[in-house]
Amino acid sequence: MTQHTLALGVEAAAQAAFDAGIKGAFGYPGTPSTEGFEYAEALVKQDAGGGRVAHWAANEKVAYDLALGMSYAGHRSLVTMKHVGLNVAMDAYANSALTGVQGGLVLLVADDPGMHSSQNEQDSRRLAEFAWLPCLEPSTVQEAYDFTWRAFELSEALQVPVMLRLVTRLAHCRAPFQRRPTLAPTGVGLTPKTRVQDWVLIPSNARRRYVDLLAKQPRLREAAATLNRIAPGTGRRGVALAGLGRAYFGQLVLEHSELAALPRLEVAAYPVDPELEQAFLGQVDEVLVFEEDYPVLEERLGMRGRARVRGRLDGAVPRTGELSPRVLKDALGLATPEGKAAAGLELPVRAPRFCEGCGHVDAYEAIQEALRNVGAPEARVFGDIGCYTLAAQEPLAAIHAVVEMGASISMAVGAAFAGQTPSVAVIGDSTFAHSGLPALLTAAEARANVTVVVLDNRVVGMTGQQPSQALDQVERLVLGLGIPEADLQVLTPLPSRHGDNVAAMEAALRHAGPSVVVFRRECIQSLRRGVLKEHDREAREHAACPSCTPEVVR
Amino acid sequence: MNGARIHGIVLSGVGGQGVLSMAQIVLEALRRSGFHALQSEIHGMSQRGGSVHAQVCYADQPISSPLIDDGCADLLIALEPLEALRYVPMLRISGHLVVAEDPIADMEGYPPLEDVHAALRAVRGSHLLDTEALARKLAHKQAGGMALLGMASRFLPVAESLWQEVIAQRFAAKGEKVTAKNLEAFEAGRNLIGEGVGA
Repeated sequence: MTQHTLALGVEAAAQAAFDAGIKGAFGYPGTPSTEGFEYAEALVKQDAGGGRVAHWAANEKVAYDLALGMSYAGHRSLVTMKHVGLNVAMDAYANSALTGVQGGLVLLVADDPGMHSSQNEQDSRRLAEFAWLPCLEPSTVQEAYDFTWRAFELSEALQVPVMLRLVTRLAHCRAPFQRRPTLAPTGVGLTPKTRVQDWVLIPSNARRRYVDLLAKQPRLREAAATLNRIAPGTGRRGVALAGLGRAYFGQLVLEHSELAALPRLEVAAYPVDPELEQAFLGQVDEVLVFEEDYPVLEERLGMRGRARVRGRLDGAVPRTGELSPRVLKDALGLATPEGKAAAGLELPVRAPRFCEGCGHVDAYEAIQEALRNVGAPEARVFGDIGCYTLAAQEPLAAIHAVVEMGASISMAVGAAFAGQTPSVAVIGDSTFAHSGLPALLTAAEARANVTVVVLDNRVVGMTGQQPSQALDQVERLVLGLGIPEADLQVLTPLPSRHGDNVAAMEAALRHAGPSVVVFRRECIQSLRRGVLKEHDREAREHAACPSCTPEVVR
Repeated sequence: MNGARIHGIVLSGVGGQGVLSMAQIVLEALRRSGFHALQSEIHGMSQRGGSVHAQVCYADQPISSPLIDDGCADLLIALEPLEALRYVPMLRISGHLVVAEDPIADMEGYPPLEDVHAALRAVRGSHLLDTEALARKLAHKQAGGMALLGMASRFLPVAESLWQEVIAQRFAAKGEKVTAKNLEAFEAGRNLIGEGVGA
């Protein structure tokens, strides 16, 4: 039975994982990967009684290890994250190349060329190469579906995790695709006793497994070769295409039929077979490379020294930013049709901003006033990743460094060690759970003179208001990490509480040693959507129940 | 251009206005009309009150590019006038523009509204809608979006009954009353533009 489904690219991959019989889907939210996990989660919910699970994890590393554990237990699993999330999971990812997998494990990673919603445009293909692992790179929604299936098959056949690399434009491209029949999550059984040592990465085993992994490389290249091809053409000028480069070029051929004659190297899977590269380079004197993010293919082809290779490195393609039909046309020397002229009005940028009535704004206003009151209006404040990052812009300009998830606390501690007083970190509740916890443990242990502000809106606001893993737990986590009760304050960021909040914040700033201020008010988007309604109702019922003490209410 | 004709639609507005859901209605209507169609959208940070846009491409044959190049869109549907001006260069010389007159101007440097309107009127093929007046007339605060879609429908090769079907399905979960109100707004918009203007 074939069915047509309409979904985003990242959702099609999740559908394929479900159809391929995953037992579980795990992830941490991050644009443009979020909808993939959410789609899998919705499918798992609909499949009640089907024995599958879908669970957000506290961070990407945890998510990856959940998937790896499920694989060890013999079941297929999907783990989703954005490109910078893979940095967090890198320890797990790189080492799982050595353990190998039992049940198929597919890592769906969504890169963000052009940085639509990210702090960098790193290329996950490089990380797959680094870990000696295969990477499949679809260019259409249908391929996102098909390649995910293929990834599970390869993962089990080669006994390695397989990366599925999407980019923003495909992750968020909505199109119809054809499905295959759904498999039940039957599994292949627990890792056999004879292979247990493979999973114990003490040096003696790891040395052996590294040799095994390198020995697998020819098979990885062979597997990739089934998705890569040379389309012969006429003339000595060719194109090498990967990812959306294939999609954009494929469509340009429809509009400009003369392009169909160009010899083409089409890459959809890595590692690329050097023989395929050599064979292609034997057909051309010059090759234009179109790929998203880093010049991965371009450098490989350039290394061979057989043809003039053009792309991001020589400026034929802009060095940074995402591909587009325009980028391809410019590089190919095709004219872009003249569009309509717009009147010469200055069009101001409409930047994203805090929602009307957002509690973060009230919190920042209290922080800034308190800093003025303690005579430190120019204090540099360390921020973190989330909606509250918007405070870096005018008019608030309230945070002065934003690097990566959880960095705010440790950076504030480092600055305090350098003598900065006051040294303030601002972090959201979900980011705190993601990677702020070890940092606060260090702050508490070092008795560092920092004030850590947790902006607790109870959800992962930016990515669509998924419940925070620290939901209703922030105070207990803070106390458990060694912050004394007297140095923890919980405030409600509302205009009517402004005076009290400023006073409390001031006290925290004046306190010598670590202090934590939690500003808690639910995200107004999640409040409007009733995201936590059910959770809060259950919590109230538990609180009222004589056999439950409030301490066990989650 | 010597090959296939690929059609492009750009939808623009401000985060929270419903640009993405309108794009989905357009995609679904085109798909059910037998076209190969796909839609591109951007999520995340931009949805927090920033500039938002989506694109829909369709053709008689399979297509693969999620993006439309400048000068290649046939139709621009804008829920906000400044956000319309931003994307005018994406329109073909022969393209059409339907745009809401009411601004979301809670930002610095928003040009005088009359200048924005004048610039839009100067674009050949532009159709401005006084969304506020229409909302009053229909006693339906949210009528603007659907009315714009009604206007846009004149330029798209989709049967009227199919539009009604897709819109009705879209709002089915919200009840008959909401569905009827939205269909009414769609018709009101559609009637603002003479038959046979478009495709």
